[in-house]
Amino acid sequence: MIGLDSHTTGAEVVATLLRDAGFEVVYLGTNQTPAMIVNAAIEEDADVIGVSLHASNFALVEDLMSLIEEHELTDVPVVCGGNIPPKQIEQLLARGVARVFPPGSSGDAIVEYFAGQARRT
Amino acid sequence: MKYATDYGYEIKPVYGPRDVEGLEYERDLGDPGRFPYTRGYHAQGYRSRMWTRRMTAGLGSSRDTNAVLKKYREMGQRGGICVIHDRVSSSCIDADHPLARRENGVLGWPGSSLLEFEELMDEIPLTGQSITVLGCCAPSTLRLAYVVALAEKRGIDLAEIHGSVTESPFGNVFGQTDVQPFDLDMKLFLDASEYIVRNGIRMRAGFVGQHFQESGGNNAQALAVELSMLKEICGRLVAERGLQFDDAMRVPYQLVSIGTRFFEEIAKVRALRRMWARMAKEHFGAKNEKSCQLLIAVHTSGRTMTYQQPLNNIARCAIETLAGAMVGCTALDNATLDNAYAEPSALAAQMSLNTQHIVAHETGVADVVDPLAGSYFVESLTNEVETAAYRILEEIDALGGLVAAIGKGHIQTMLKREANLKFQELNNKERLVVGVNHLVIPPEEEMFQIPVQAVEGSDSEAIAQRMADWKKTRNMAPIETSVRRLHADARKGDRYNLMPAIIDAVKAYATAGEILGVIRVARGLNYDPFKLIRCPFELSK
Repeated sequence: MIGLDSHTTGAEVVATLLRDAGFEVVYLGTNQTPAMIVNAAIEEDADVIGVSLHASNFALVEDLMSLIEEHELTDVPVVCGGNIPPKQIEQLLARGVARVFPPGSSGDAIVEYFAGQARRT
Repeated sequence: MKYATDYGYEIKPVYGPRDVEGLEYERDLGDPGRFPYTRGYHAQGYRSRMWTRRMTAGLGSSRDTNAVLKKYREMGQRGGICVIHDRVSSSCIDADHPLARRENGVLGWPGSSLLEFEELMDEIPLTGQSITVLGCCAPSTLRLAYVVALAEKRGIDLAEIHGSVTESPFGNVFGQTDVQPFDLDMKLFLDASEYIVRNGIRMRAGFVGQHFQESGGNNAQALAVELSMLKEICGRLVAERGLQFDDAMRVPYQLVSIGTRFFEEIAKVRALRRMWARMAKEHFGAKNEKSCQLLIAVHTSGRTMTYQQPLNNIARCAIETLAGAMVGCTALDNATLDNAYAEPSALAAQMSLNTQHIVAHETGVADVVDPLAGSYFVESLTNEVETAAYRILEEIDALGGLVAAIGKGHIQTMLKREANLKFQELNNKERLVVGVNHLVIPPEEEMFQIPVQAVEGSDSEAIAQRMADWKKTRNMAPIETSVRRLHADARKGDRYNLMPAIIDAVKAYATAGEILGVIRVARGLNYDPFKLIRCPFELSK
């Protein structure tokens, strides 16, 4: 969960979905800064970084992408989920976000994407 | 396709007299205005008073939000305003905090000082309409202080103002996580509630069952949680603050969520009225009939507003509004067709407000009180959801009440399990949602692009910069004096009421971050919940 957003349901449901599908999920919880997310990704040797965000604090994802470039982590795809309008989806993809899952995305689509990017336990 | 209520009870194809066997009219329903108030509190229903039709506002700067409130007035919103905080001020940090700079004015009003409230309320009357401000528990005392301070500045008798600016601490565990610790939230909430009662202020406190349900809880769970919130807080106001129960009951109103399961939503609210009336009388020994009448406001569910084909949400909103009107609510605020995108655009707000006006004036629904009473199905559902809720309530009671149940992780586990179940039901198409898992169209075939309100990073930065600049222009002497008093008071124990000191600090233009920060320091916590900034005041050790 990036920034001060407190809507945890989506992130927690996706974390459960991925765990049930055999992935190791390190759920960082609320109030994560871009630096905290990057540090955790390095420490945990993450295959994918998943970011949950609600509505319009997209600027924080841009900060996150800059930090990822600085740390030369660009081989770790960043995936966003949440209430993200189409215009922002375009901007996020242009900024290097690998994939955006808006509300209503099916569990199968999410699991299928992660299966192509990440090791299963 | 599942034929079951959202709490898992089977729904039959047809209902008849045998489904309501044992129902005794006087005991279980009663005429509107008669105990146990299943049918509502007013014999004349909406004929004596129409529900307050309002929309939530809060986006961008305080002046931006003020302009939206004025726009809503033009759209016929006269009964009351409803404003929601942004995440920054909900957390009680200031706009110029390092973590706030990207988030000010996003998803709400940046209300972290009296200056912001003055701008928010510029040319908006404090009286003659209800003043409702929502968004986490932590800023409750501040919001109450803003109202007290502005009333004084405008020369208005505080007793003339009504509405709700405080919020119970339970949202913190229902998917609306608060950065302030639960025990601090609880203490401040009780302070505000006690102050309201002892000073005869006509402000209610939001007990937001909506958060629980919007985070995935089902109707029976929501009912149980709503009742246990009331039980816990009223119990504490009596036991810890020495209030009479009948006085404590001047505080709460319940904000319930109404989704698309039409009859179940109606049954839930009818059951809530009956269950509360019995709890008030049997558990709390209510002497005043008013204490048995739980004030209920409705929020039509934002969670049901789909991202796909947002125009479909107009239909959903209408159905939910109809249900909200039929249950006899005091106030109703709608979700909007763009709910899955952003805060409401003017177009979306107008559609939703007009949906309420259409239901109120064109359908005839408001002419008759509790029109579904006596329906075999609705009475059976009302009984069932009550039974299911009592079972959950007993579990919570057995754990020692809601705070204890939260401490043991019981409520969080229940909520998580239910949210996962709901997701699986959608995924497996046991529940159909048009445009999402049924009759899906590719995004490029969307016929209509709705306008979307957006707050840019630069808007948030401007709010931060204004706060930083303004802070330097303040007269610091009264601020220093007031925060030192606040710090001293905050060390006098949990039951020592901080409202007077907070009001002083707010009037001196101390900010949310400063006020909560000083209280935190007095409690041995870091000034800043994120440990990024230092306390700017010299405080006694």
